[in-house]
Amino acid sequence: MLDMLLAGFESVLTIYIILLIIVGVFLGLIFGSIPGLTATMAVAICLPITYGMEPVAGMSLLMGLYIGGVSGGLIPAILLKLPGTPSSIATTFDGYPMAQKGEAGKAFSFAIVSSFLGGLLSIVVLIMIAPPLGKIALQFGPYEFFAIVIFSLTLIASLSGNSLSKGIMAGLLGIAFAMVGSAPIDAFPRFTFGFHSLDAGFNILPVLIGLFALSEIFISAEKKMKGSVKANLKKVNYKVSIKEYLGQGWNFLRSSVIGIAIGILPGIGGGTSNIISYVAAKNSSKKPEKFGTGIPDGVVASESSNNAAVGGALVPLVSLGIPGDTVTAMLLGGLVLHGLQPGPLLIQNSGDIVYGIFAALLIANVFMALFLFLGMKGFVRLLSIPGYILLPIILVLCVVGAYGVNNRLFDVGALIFFGVIGYLMIKFGFPLTPLVLGFILGPLLETNLRRGLMLSQGDFMPFLTSPIAATFLSITIVSLIFAIYKNKKNKKQESTDNLEKTGT
Amino acid sequence: MRNFLRKTLLGSVFIALLVLLGACAENAANGSSDAKDDPASDYPSGPITVVVPAGAGGDTDLNTRIMAKYLEKELDTNIVISNVTGAGGATGTQNVLDAKADGHTVLAFHNSMLLNNIFGLTDYTYTDFKMAGVGVLDQSNTFVTSADSKFNDLPSLIEYAKENPGEVTMATEIGSMTYIQTLQFQELTGVEFNIVDIGGASDKISALLGGRVDIVPTSLGLISGYIESGDMIPLGIMGEERLEGAPDVPTFKEQGVDIVIDKAFYWGFHKDTPEEIVTKFSNAMDRVVANEDYQEEIENSWLSPTFLNSEETNKKLEEINASYQEAYKKSEEDN
Repeated sequence: MLDMLLAGFESVLTIYIILLIIVGVFLGLIFGSIPGLTATMAVAICLPITYGMEPVAGMSLLMGLYIGGVSGGLIPAILLKLPGTPSSIATTFDGYPMAQKGEAGKAFSFAIVSSFLGGLLSIVVLIMIAPPLGKIALQFGPYEFFAIVIFSLTLIASLSGNSLSKGIMAGLLGIAFAMVGSAPIDAFPRFTFGFHSLDAGFNILPVLIGLFALSEIFISAEKKMKGSVKANLKKVNYKVSIKEYLGQGWNFLRSSVIGIAIGILPGIGGGTSNIISYVAAKNSSKKPEKFGTGIPDGVVASESSNNAAVGGALVPLVSLGIPGDTVTAMLLGGLVLHGLQPGPLLIQNSGDIVYGIFAALLIANVFMALFLFLGMKGFVRLLSIPGYILLPIILVLCVVGAYGVNNRLFDVGALIFFGVIGYLMIKFGFPLTPLVLGFILGPLLETNLRRGLMLSQGDFMPFLTSPIAATFLSITIVSLIFAIYKNKKNKKQESTDNLEKTGT
Repeated sequence: MRNFLRKTLLGSVFIALLVLLGACAENAANGSSDAKDDPASDYPSGPITVVVPAGAGGDTDLNTRIMAKYLEKELDTNIVISNVTGAGGATGTQNVLDAKADGHTVLAFHNSMLLNNIFGLTDYTYTDFKMAGVGVLDQSNTFVTSADSKFNDLPSLIEYAKENPGEVTMATEIGSMTYIQTLQFQELTGVEFNIVDIGGASDKISALLGGRVDIVPTSLGLISGYIESGDMIPLGIMGEERLEGAPDVPTFKEQGVDIVIDKAFYWGFHKDTPEEIVTKFSNAMDRVVANEDYQEEIENSWLSPTFLNSEETNKKLEEINASYQEAYKKSEEDN
């Protein structure tokens, strides 16, 4: 294996290919950092360009785009509370409060290091044990996915902030919005009111940037612009001690493993892995109440898991020819167009190219961290641009991004619609993340339930008797009981606190 | 890189133009009817947008991109591929129907459009388009099973399925080509499968390898790697004859099941597009299919580079439509 990897590096270490990787990472970072543009779009635009290249060269460019695209999202997430892509939603939870406290530099350092290490770990896993891991992924069918989705939906409880009921309402609203358009399986249009534009439903991107980015812009527009951030800029601290990094060791490892595992499972992807890791970090932390106030733990959890999902998503692609997310689906097309046959024999038949791809990934990962570290001080300067100049530019980029999803104006309308929804939700104290989670998971839940019932010919038992499904459902029940217990305890605490206050 | 910049630049100019065009479309429609005798003389006058109602990386996308690459040279213009997914292809198809009929927006799709109409999901079908032609035929539609399956050919499958109705699990995507093929197969052989929805091509592969389903209807080219590795065994193809690339795989017809279905990848324009423009485009496609480099690229994925002109395309789609309609009607009667 080692000699194969060395051969892989040999094929990649030419000036031409290194340049392609650099260009790829750079473009990817730009796409990832602009709200509305994503790694998926970057790969979609560059895929045709690679058709004319040698397979290793073309794939190297795409790997650079992929890694850059997933990582770039941390910049606007930390600085502006705008998740550039679904994979950086959880980065905003603690990254933005850190930046508000004048710790933007520190947040960047943590985010970049965990992105780099999370990516590295997942690539190593990909190189070492892709085939057996891919086989495990095959064991996940509708019953198992259904259980995982149920489990993930209960995370809403931990993401609801002060009010569980508001969190649940937001989650249900997300599921309701996801139901608009063609139903899964029979493709019958639902809730379209006869408008053909609604036939395809809402795309995740306008929903996400509408809810998070547009609503923030509306909120800022409401306030008077002040140059308050400028003052903080001079005191920005980038230094993080080795001890602080080491303190995140467990958090990092757990988050990376979650990222890899979710990346491997086709269809769930990086959009949810960062949220799941964040909740896992919060629930196993000794100071869960500090999450959301600007502590590095949250940034590390989110950023290590979303980059780890990259290597994870490539596992089934390389070992079995099955893509794990939208980007790998396009990479699959790229392989086919270069005359490679994706499938169990890919490593055996085209080992030189596969190991070239591995080498390109490792190199791209290094350049990603390098670019981000070099650019860090520049990014922070973005904060010194007055809001009345920066926000309109972001608004334009959001609109371009929404249009670019499917090249139709309908998605721009959807963007504005969800912007207003997000604005109203913030105003009335509803959390936004449960809505996104419901929107992503709702269709997965319905599809896998219906598929499972078709497979079992109407029998619900297999949903409970499949070992993997049973495990996840048990975890769900345990975590629910735990959440309810904690909720009650908090309420008791509050009421006794109140009693004491009124008593004195 | 330069190419990329040029394309994005052109793309954004094009978007701006589209908006302008939309605004003054009505004026243009009134005034320009007798401006020129031959509307094709200066066609194409700008980049051509090809709407692919499927995601990037799938077979529809790949076949379209290969054709587009050669068409760019033939027509001497930029061709922009626009993947418009959603609603089983209906969203992208609708985009072309809504676009201006000036030949600068073209649909590249396959049999699925006919099915969307048959299943009542759309109110238009292939006759609502002006067909330029077909550039690729997929004659490798197949049923595959996993290596440890008890079936090794169609007769053994049919025999078992007859004795155990509803027990053999068939992985399809409801409303897709594989679904109607399965209905046809049931109709012709009198067997009854447990038809389940599994999802797209990749989902089907993982369901078969994971042992959740017995048979997967798919395209031979999409699973050639698994056949070579011995993980999957093809039970036959639905072509008229055996494939040159896979001479060991018998046809359905040879095994006594009379199903011949080609997946036709066609290019179609808005119905009001001037005849001359469609003909010019069609001729360009004809020249591409004659190109040996193109043929080689298409044959790489076990497909047949075949040119059908407008008339032949309509005839082909008519045949396919009729056989689908019959299968659908019969399955409805049975229920």
